Amino acid sequence: MSGIRTILLAALAVVMLALPQFVTNSFALDILIRILLFSFVGIAWNLMGGYAKQLSLGHAAYFGLGAYTSTLMQIDFDISPWIGMVAGGVVAALASLPIGWLCFRLRGPYFTIATIATAQALMLIFLKFRDFAWGAEGTTIPNLGSSPLMLQFEGKAAYYYVALGLLVIGLLVTFLIERSFIGYYLVAIGEDEDAAEAIGVNAPRIKRDIYMISAFLTALAGTFYVQYIYFIDPATAFNFNISIEAALVSIVGGIGTLWGPVIGTVLLETTSALLQSWLGSSTGGVQLTVYSLILMAVILWRPTGLMGVLHEILERYRKRYPGATAKAAP
Amino acid sequence: MFETIVQAVINGLLIGGIYALVSIGVTLIFGVVKIVNFAQGEFVMLGMYLSFYLATRFGLDPILSLVVTMPVLFVVGVVIQHVLIRRVLGPNDMPQIFLTFALSLLLLNLALMLFTANYRTVHTSYSDTAFHLGGLYIPVAKLIAFIVAMGLSSALWLFLHTTDLGRAMRAASQNRDVAILMGINPNRVFAVAFGAALALAGAAGSLLMPFYSAYPFVGQVFVLMAFVAVVLGTLGNVIGALVASLMMGVAESLGIQFVGADSGLIVVFAMLLLTLAFKPNGLGGRRLRS
Repeated sequence: MSGIRTILLAALAVVMLALPQFVTNSFALDILIRILLFSFVGIAWNLMGGYAKQLSLGHAAYFGLGAYTSTLMQIDFDISPWIGMVAGGVVAALASLPIGWLCFRLRGPYFTIATIATAQALMLIFLKFRDFAWGAEGTTIPNLGSSPLMLQFEGKAAYYYVALGLLVIGLLVTFLIERSFIGYYLVAIGEDEDAAEAIGVNAPRIKRDIYMISAFLTALAGTFYVQYIYFIDPATAFNFNISIEAALVSIVGGIGTLWGPVIGTVLLETTSALLQSWLGSSTGGVQLTVYSLILMAVILWRPTGLMGVLHEILERYRKRYPGATAKAAP
Repeated sequence: MFETIVQAVINGLLIGGIYALVSIGVTLIFGVVKIVNFAQGEFVMLGMYLSFYLATRFGLDPILSLVVTMPVLFVVGVVIQHVLIRRVLGPNDMPQIFLTFALSLLLLNLALMLFTANYRTVHTSYSDTAFHLGGLYIPVAKLIAFIVAMGLSSALWLFLHTTDLGRAMRAASQNRDVAILMGINPNRVFAVAFGAALALAGAAGSLLMPFYSAYPFVGQVFVLMAFVAVVLGTLGNVIGALVASLMMGVAESLGIQFVGADSGLIVVFAMLLLTLAFKPNGLGGRRLRS
């Protein structure tokens, strides 16, 4: 890592840590928390969807499992959601085994469809069995006031730091995987699965492992989200829009890159917040219309996403001033 | 008891005809253009709204409005193929999946903004009439829809097997590169395949209108069913998709009859999961990968 990169990263860390001291408006903080959280979900998706190109549209399954596991543990057994969060991750990782066993039988678009179907099926299960988990009505999560040990805080700033912590975990996991042999295996599978297998990559195993990690991380976000909004029901926890957003932020930002999901979320969530403040809350359909137009534009003109655009700008700059940024080459 | 089962099977077959129109469209595009059209259900939805407005503004019978919806959606399909799909054809899955997925999101949410989430229905003279055969009950609107759907499916089959363009499309679906070497113009073939598939979706929309409500999310019901039927019927196989769609209709109907009125989706997912677990290459069993 070059000097410039370290300085940039340190500056970013300072800004992110100091931000809640300056941004006290609760609407703005809410947007920041959403950005951090969905960046994290995007990062979890990107590990599998971006590097190994296993394009899931069913990550809401793990978001929901995480949310339900911690909430059930908290309400039925009074166990702290901090523990529930990790337990939810484990449940999600275990659930990814049979789900992956089924879905990985198909490739390409049919893998995508199978992931949609399994996530929807899980939501139906939680809708149907009302004595097991409150059915369609859902439940409010008891508000204990300021209770950091129970993942509940007075102001929004604390939630901001928790979400920031999750994001840092996601970035670190991606960074480590990207640089390990698994990262290279994943990219090989993403490029050409048959060729990767031919040169000795155990593709089924690598896909299974990365799916478990991706599911585990997604579940952590689920717990955080329901704790943050103090409410859970199947339509919230297993919302198809979560699956969509996880994939969209990664593709718009730059699929298969470390920072892609973060940049993508900043763009999409800011756009969504601006639309909301212009049009008021009655935006039925507007947000997703704009999202789908952005997605189409990216796919047709910049399949490498915003990271690709940044890269091009950097390249142009480097050509114009040879030597100036040579050491900063990523 | 026996009569109940026969009745459920008939209900399933009748709605299965509509599923077949959607599935055949999906499998035709998959076979020829080699992409999965995630937006297929939204074109059924557009067909329904088109029929709805033709019926309410111009008094055109929804089933007769086929003569408008099919050509309109054919043209829409050709345009979409030329403007959008053509640009993402290649070995990479990501742009293809997410372009048609974005199209689906776009159409659905535009419909939500333009038409609102309200349910729209058209009441025809035959909407409530039915034949009674013994103790069996056969609604006229569904019977007409089924017969027309089977007719259109047969017409497509004949087109694929007896005309030059149809043969070119089948050739392109079997081996695109060789077909191009033989002088087949891939852009023309792809455009016709996409157009024909959307025309079938439009037909499904018109046929549904006398007995089904139009709303922005309506396509999702049919597209999920179609995706399962297409896997079950072996990807890219028209007859397979037709048979599997009828099976799905029957399975769903039996589920509604014996498990509960809201169990339709559960049956669909169960069918998909069972297919994936035991027959991932479809009932035909030929190994096909996308």
